[in-house]
Amino acid sequence: MAAPEEQMAALSVADGAPAAAAEGGKPKKEKKPKADKPKQQQGGEGKKKETKLGLTASKEGDFGDWYSQVVVESEMISYYDVSGCYILRPYSFAIWDEIKNWFDARIKELGVQNAYFPLFITEDVLMTEKEHVEGFAPEVAWVTKSGSSELDRPIAIRPTSETVMYPYYAQWIRSHRDLPLRLNQWTNVVRWEFKHPTPFIRSREFLWQEGHTVFATKEEADTEVYQILDLYRRVYEELLAVPVCKGMKSSKEKFAGALYTTSVEAFIPTSGRGVQGATSHCLGQNFSKMFGIEFETEEKTRQHAWQNSWGLTTRTIGVMVMTHGDDKGVVIPPRVAQIQVVVIPIPNSKLGEEAVKAMLDRADAIAADLKAAGVRVTVDRRDNYTPGWKYNFWELRGVPLRLELGPRDMDSGVAMLARRDNGGKQSCAWGELAAAVPKLLEQQQAEMYAKARAEFDSCIERVTTWDDFMAALERKHMALAPWCDTEESEEEVKRRPPCLAIPLATYLPLLFMCDTEESEEEVKRRSATKDAMGAKTLCIPLEQPDLPEGTPCFVTGAPAKCWALWGRSY
Amino acid sequence: MQLTRTIVPGCLRLCSAAQRASGRQLVRRGRVALSTVAGEVATEQQQQQPKQQKQKQQQKQQQGGGGKKGERLVTPKSEDFSRWYLDVVRECQLADYGPVRGTMVIRPYGYALWEGVQSHLDKAFKETGHQNAYFPQLIPYSFLAKEAEHVEGFAPELALVTKGGGKDLEEPLVVRPTSETIVNHMFAQWVQSYRDLPLLLNQWANVHRWEMRTRPFVRTLEFLWQEGHTAHATPEEAEEETIRMLRVYEDFACNVAAMPVIAGRKSRIESFAGANCTYTIEAMMGDRKALQAGTSHNLGDNFAKAFGTRYLDEAGQLQYVHQSSWGVSTRMVGGIIMTHGDDAGLRLPPRMAPIQVVIVPIIKKEADAEGVMAAVQGLESALKAAGVRVLLDATTDKTPGWKFNQYEMKGVPVRVEVGPRDVEQNACVVARRDVPGKEGKQFGVPMEAAAFVAHVQGLLEEVQASLLAQAREFRDANIVDVSSYEELQAAVAEGKWARGPWAGSDDDERRVKEETSATLRCFPFEQPQHSGVCFLTGAPAKEVALFAKAY
Repeated sequence: MAAPEEQMAALSVADGAPAAAAEGGKPKKEKKPKADKPKQQQGGEGKKKETKLGLTASKEGDFGDWYSQVVVESEMISYYDVSGCYILRPYSFAIWDEIKNWFDARIKELGVQNAYFPLFITEDVLMTEKEHVEGFAPEVAWVTKSGSSELDRPIAIRPTSETVMYPYYAQWIRSHRDLPLRLNQWTNVVRWEFKHPTPFIRSREFLWQEGHTVFATKEEADTEVYQILDLYRRVYEELLAVPVCKGMKSSKEKFAGALYTTSVEAFIPTSGRGVQGATSHCLGQNFSKMFGIEFETEEKTRQHAWQNSWGLTTRTIGVMVMTHGDDKGVVIPPRVAQIQVVVIPIPNSKLGEEAVKAMLDRADAIAADLKAAGVRVTVDRRDNYTPGWKYNFWELRGVPLRLELGPRDMDSGVAMLARRDNGGKQSCAWGELAAAVPKLLEQQQAEMYAKARAEFDSCIERVTTWDDFMAALERKHMALAPWCDTEESEEEVKRRPPCLAIPLATYLPLLFMCDTEESEEEVKRRSATKDAMGAKTLCIPLEQPDLPEGTPCFVTGAPAKCWALWGRSY
Repeated sequence: MQLTRTIVPGCLRLCSAAQRASGRQLVRRGRVALSTVAGEVATEQQQQQPKQQKQKQQQKQQQGGGGKKGERLVTPKSEDFSRWYLDVVRECQLADYGPVRGTMVIRPYGYALWEGVQSHLDKAFKETGHQNAYFPQLIPYSFLAKEAEHVEGFAPELALVTKGGGKDLEEPLVVRPTSETIVNHMFAQWVQSYRDLPLLLNQWANVHRWEMRTRPFVRTLEFLWQEGHTAHATPEEAEEETIRMLRVYEDFACNVAAMPVIAGRKSRIESFAGANCTYTIEAMMGDRKALQAGTSHNLGDNFAKAFGTRYLDEAGQLQYVHQSSWGVSTRMVGGIIMTHGDDAGLRLPPRMAPIQVVIVPIIKKEADAEGVMAAVQGLESALKAAGVRVLLDATTDKTPGWKFNQYEMKGVPVRVEVGPRDVEQNACVVARRDVPGKEGKQFGVPMEAAAFVAHVQGLLEEVQASLLAQAREFRDANIVDVSSYEELQAAVAEGKWARGPWAGSDDDERRVKEETSATLRCFPFEQPQHSGVCFLTGAPAKEVALFAKAY
């Protein structure tokens, strides 16, 4: 349920993403995102059959290019003729499967059930709730034909499901005994945006889960909001090793229909931008009043129900890639890696046929041991690539551990373990691998998180004045600042630095209205200056440092009410 | 974009006419269009009302009506199968009608059945080396047009997106009806050498086909499914894969869904648009109609040629890949309902059942509450620990009798009853759903944890086996071997399946369909002994074909 304004006001990362993103142009073949750039040949030992590997852009040097290369070259994503739509290849979908399985099991423990509501929405139903829809209307894709006949009234493809689901809730809920009603669905949604698309982070179709729950009391709803928020935190921190900050959205940044919105916020130090990781909203009684979701209490009175909604998308994968990736490729945390260990036998030309066979057999035996220990392992037995090429190949794909088995290892009954995240190497006797590898993977997971957490924390500057605030942003950091918590002051921040802050939301609906080429140009022009785009509140962290009474707001000077986390964001 | 193909006679015109009409008119036309599907219209009508208020009122009326009928919530299956089905779907809260005609909302109990299908099949796919991926839902129309037969087959059913973000799109995008085209578009880029093969992918997704005569789960405008797509170096491997996956479906149907199926090959007419050959599993529903419950297609190199999906073989020669695709959809849920259900409602095979065991405490006096509750909670946690999906219904606003009816209707395989006297004797009553009445009740089942769990688990296995046996017996009793067209007509008129040697042409097959409304379901892999003389034409026949009326 990312709020539309959040979606709109957010920025594009894809500085270097394929040019075919521009709507209206002829669909281009997007086989390779950077087909025009010559590719550096890495590790190519000159074998004819070996394809080129590796990235030409560096993460620090050209983050946008690096990102769009790394997701394609690691075979996570394929571009496609329809701009803003991507193929999630098995290598990335496996990560989504892990996230899905973990989260699905947790919400079922909480008593949430899965269901499925249709993709197609009639115009009437979509428009039930005007304010809510206004945010989404410009982004809707419309079906206007079936077969060769025109539909009399176009049918919308869901951008989100509130208006589809809530009329049913109104029918299904009669008494307090029907509550709580806690449903979730795993689906695709389509939002036809014209902003620069970025794989995982912003795409026209994406996968997500949307939870929609109904309670008799506000207390129950409140409790769930934070339960879910904490599950989202755990998805990021425990599965993806990505540190996040839990917080409350400012009234300006919250979901339009919500009473309040909580979120987990991640941060990409390389680009100096925050990313909203997931949101958990308390809708209060706003929707239940609009849709007539009422129940009879035990005392036989009628009352409007309390509702929540919460969503997590495939954006998670993009944040993970941005956080851990390096110039060699992606780095996948062990817990979500489809392949946790790759075994690479290293035969050399001196080895006889039998010795090679013994080595391959040993590799298989090790893999079998590891598999039995619950490790996801594969053996790279390909004979048309050199070991060096294979190292690059698997490093590009971010496999957490490489297990090398060379002739000398064969002699001494050991194998070499090389970590993807920090390059650390250690030798391990065959007999100990089954015990050592799972431990090492866990350690790696923990260290990846610790490293990212340290970096995240070092990117938060506690400031109390406007100048320090600006200086923090200059350094591509977030600023934690005492704030008076008013919409006006947040506006003020956007206004003050002249080059900052042109919220996309203010002209996107305009674009929808006027529908001219000029306006499209305008979008492009402004997108091009996105480095200058302004900071906003990422959240008001749930964990608040002490705020001595009388501390002035860094914007207005009025007494501050809280510490707010500010930063540029996606 | 020029759309080829004439539309299915009447259907789409009626549809757009219906959409032009408003309010009551629309409902009236809807009735005309759907009059064959009894019961659906009423609920249709309900859904078409834009105002929720009206919906509510109508539902209240419906509920009121239901109450007057007495305890029974569903029309007996023996009385009116079609109405029974729709009643079961509604009363068991499996699905509701969606806002767009022909779509459905899958409610948690129905979705849990689909999740059962998903978890079993996904595991089987992964065990056979397949990986999941996700391809976009919106496909340029030009992709579909690349494979001539494919587009011809699907064009009338396509939903086309022509507007997005307030603008007209350059090219209409098709809401995927199936993904062969986009998959091949990508395969052509991913596959280079023989080392990239076989490529074995699957996706779990929603697809849309503009169907006119819809029915929850069985045929809906939008449905959920999995679609497997594979590419192989040789035709033999593609054929092997096609059969392998059909066998995966067959195994699931028989051993998990307790749904006996006949596996076989489709006739040319009934094959997938764009396939060389389609294989199918056919199941017999409670009304003896056939349900195609899963299909696996050998696509040959048809799509490979249309999309240029080629690889370099070991000799350095460019070759086209050979492909398969295969799918099972939410229709399987409809099949499970219609295979096992009885007059009282659903009967779920234990391996599929979201709730395998329901425990109902019977408390008449407050004084008994504590003892009974302690006992049932003990049983619940013992079953849970053993991995049994158990529900303890300790709600107090409904009587045990009401609960018995409710869970019977919902098809829960095993019910456990515990009253004060049972607690005293440390033994309880266990009732199985597949055997009605007293006969299905077991008294004095020990409540000691280990013994109780073992008993229940054994019983669940028995119910699973018994449902399969019942369904198989029913099916076998309703297949007639025929040696003449008259015999086939007679069998079909009785509602049975007809099986006989077949050497007819495509036109002969169409004639049988027109005259009897039975279609050629498949040439079963397991061929019975036969005369070798086509029952229709008298020509020498190599194979026996199976004919039936079908969903």
